Amino acid sequence: MSEEQERTLLQRLGLPLAVVAFLLPIVLQPDGLDAAGHRMFGIFLAAIVLWITEAVPLYATAVLIIFGEILFISEASVMPLPEGFEAPPIDDFYSALANPVLMLFLGGFFLAEGAAKYRLDRNLARVLLRPFGTSPTGIMLGLMLITAALSMFMSNTATAATMTAVVLSVTATLPPGDRLRTSLALSIPIAANVGGIATPVGTPPNAIALAGLTERGISISFLEWMLATLPFVILILVAAWWLLGRLHRSETKELKLEMEGEFDMSRPAILFYGVFALTIALWLTEPLHGVPATVVGFLPVVVLLSTQVFGVTELQNVRWDVLWLVGGGIALATGMAAAGVDEWLVALVAWENLPVALLLVVLAVISLALSTTISNSATANLLVPIGLTLAMSDAVAVDPLLAGIIIAVGCSLAMALPISTPPNAIAYATGAVRTKDLAVVGLLVGAIGLVLFLAVAPLWWNLLGIAGM
Amino acid sequence: MTTPRLVVLCVEDEPDVRDAIVRDLAPFEPAVVTETAESADDAREAIAEITEGRDRLGLVLADHLLPGTTGVDFLVELHEGEATARAKKVLLTGQAGLDDTVKAVNRADLDRYVAKPWDPEELRAVVRDQLTEFACEHVDDVLPYLTVLDSARLLEVHGTRAADR
Repeated sequence: MSEEQERTLLQRLGLPLAVVAFLLPIVLQPDGLDAAGHRMFGIFLAAIVLWITEAVPLYATAVLIIFGEILFISEASVMPLPEGFEAPPIDDFYSALANPVLMLFLGGFFLAEGAAKYRLDRNLARVLLRPFGTSPTGIMLGLMLITAALSMFMSNTATAATMTAVVLSVTATLPPGDRLRTSLALSIPIAANVGGIATPVGTPPNAIALAGLTERGISISFLEWMLATLPFVILILVAAWWLLGRLHRSETKELKLEMEGEFDMSRPAILFYGVFALTIALWLTEPLHGVPATVVGFLPVVVLLSTQVFGVTELQNVRWDVLWLVGGGIALATGMAAAGVDEWLVALVAWENLPVALLLVVLAVISLALSTTISNSATANLLVPIGLTLAMSDAVAVDPLLAGIIIAVGCSLAMALPISTPPNAIAYATGAVRTKDLAVVGLLVGAIGLVLFLAVAPLWWNLLGIAGM
Repeated sequence: MTTPRLVVLCVEDEPDVRDAIVRDLAPFEPAVVTETAESADDAREAIAEITEGRDRLGLVLADHLLPGTTGVDFLVELHEGEATARAKKVLLTGQAGLDDTVKAVNRADLDRYVAKPWDPEELRAVVRDQLTEFACEHVDDVLPYLTVLDSARLLEVHGTRAADR
C-alpha cells in the first residue's frame, strides 16, 4: 500500500537542514570534543532535525543514526579516528536493535496482538463496563479506567481505537449537539495517554527511559515502575474525569450500553488467555521469583510461536518500526556516551546554580512541550541521554531514576493538540471534539499531571525507597 | 496539508437522475465527494483528473444504458485498468438484463447492484458500505472518513495500523 503524501515545507527542508546540522560541528570543531566527538555531535544534531521535521520517517532516522555511528565513530569507521579514542565495536550499535528492553516491548506487542486477534480487549471492556451502570458520569469513569488499564499493556493507539468505537456506539443515539459526546470522545485519548505511563511496556518513552537507566546500571523492576506511577495515573484520571464532567454540561441522564460479543473459547484463544495472564502475573511478582521483566517478556513470544498459536502473520504484524525507533534512541545514547558528547553538552551549562527541583521542572516542561508537537518517542530519544547524563554529573544531585521517569511521564502528558498523540488524532477524527476542546482539557490534564509528578510523586518514591531527591 | 477525498463517480446520462444521486449522496461531504459524468468518455476524463490529483476514486456508480456503450462494458474496462481496478463498482440501473449482469459480476467484479428506482437510504447504505471497504483495503489513513463512513470498521483497521509514536 502506498499513497502519495503531500510533503510539508518543513519536511522538504528537513533533509538539507539535517546535512548542514551534521556538517556544522565537523567544520566548526567546537572545543572540548575530539574528531569523533564532532562527528557524533553532528549525528545528534542531524537526528534532532530529522525527528522534528520528519523529513524521513521516524524509524528511518533511527537506522540512519546507527549507520552513521558505525561509519564514523566505530571500529569500522570509514574515516580515521583520533588517537587515543577507543572506538566501540560495531556490535555496540547494532545490538541496540536487540536491547533487552526491546525484548520486553516485543512481549508486550505479542500480548496486544493476541488481545486484538481474539478480541480479548473488546470483551474485557464489555464485561468490565457493566458495573459502572447507565449514568453518563458512571460510564465515563468506567470507560476511562478500562482504557487506562488496557493501554498499560497494549499500545495507547490501539486501545484508543477500540474504546472510541465503544464511545461512538454509546453516543450514536444522543441528540445532535449534546456535549456529552465531546466529553466521552475526549475521555478516551486522555485515559489512553495517561494509562500508558503506568507500566514499562505502556508506551515507547517508558522503554527508552528504562533502557537509558539500565545502560547506566540503574535498575527499576516492572512492579516498582507501577508502584511509582500507578497511584498518580489514577489521581490524574479521576481529576480528568471530574474536569470533563464540569466542562461539558449535558442534559442526558442515561446512556444505553449495547455491546454484543462473546469470549472466544477456542483452544488457541484459551491458551493465549493463559499466556497473557501468566506473563502479567510474572511481571508483577518479580520480587518473589527474581526473573527480570525483560526475560519474562520473551515468554509470550516463545510460547505463542512454539505452540503455533501465532504464526508468520502475527510475527510480521509486530511493529518493528516502533521497536527500531526505540533502538535508534538507545544507539544514540550509546554513541554519545562513547564519544563523550553527552558529558560535553551537560558541561556547557552552569547547572550548579540551579536548584534540583527547578532542574526537574525544566526537564519535565521541555519534554512535555517538545512532545506536544513532535513524536513522544523521538522526544524521549533526544532527552533521555542528556537528562540522565545531567542527573549523574557531579554538578547536580538529582536521582537519575527520577530524571528518567520524569522525562517519560512528560512525554505522555503532552496531549494538547490533535497531532500530539495518535489517540488524540482519533478523538479529533470523530468530529465530536474541536481543537479548542482538546487544547483546554489537554493543557489542564497535562498541568495537573506535571504538578502531581513533580511535587507529590518524589515524596512517595522516597517513601517506597525507589528514588530520592 | 489537505486530506485526500474519496470520490464517488456517478456515470449517468439523465440530468435529473444525476442531480438526484448527487443530492442523495450530499450527506457524505466533504470527506467524500460525488462527481458526475454523462457518458463513458466524460467519465474517462474525470478519472484522469482524479488520478492526477490527490483524491482517490473509491466508487463508480454506473447506469447501464449510456450513450455509445453500456455501463457494464465500461465497468469491465475500469476493472481491467490499472488505476481503476481497485475502485468499488456498483450498477445503478433498471435495464441491465441477466446476461449483462452476469458479465458485470464475472468480468468487472461488480460489488453491488442497485435497482432503479432506488431508495435514498438504501443507496447511502450501499455507498457507505462499499467506501468503507475501499478505505479499509486501500487507504493508509482512514481517520478522515470516520464521521461519514462505518466508524466501527474503520477504527478496527486503524487500531491495527497505527502505533504509538
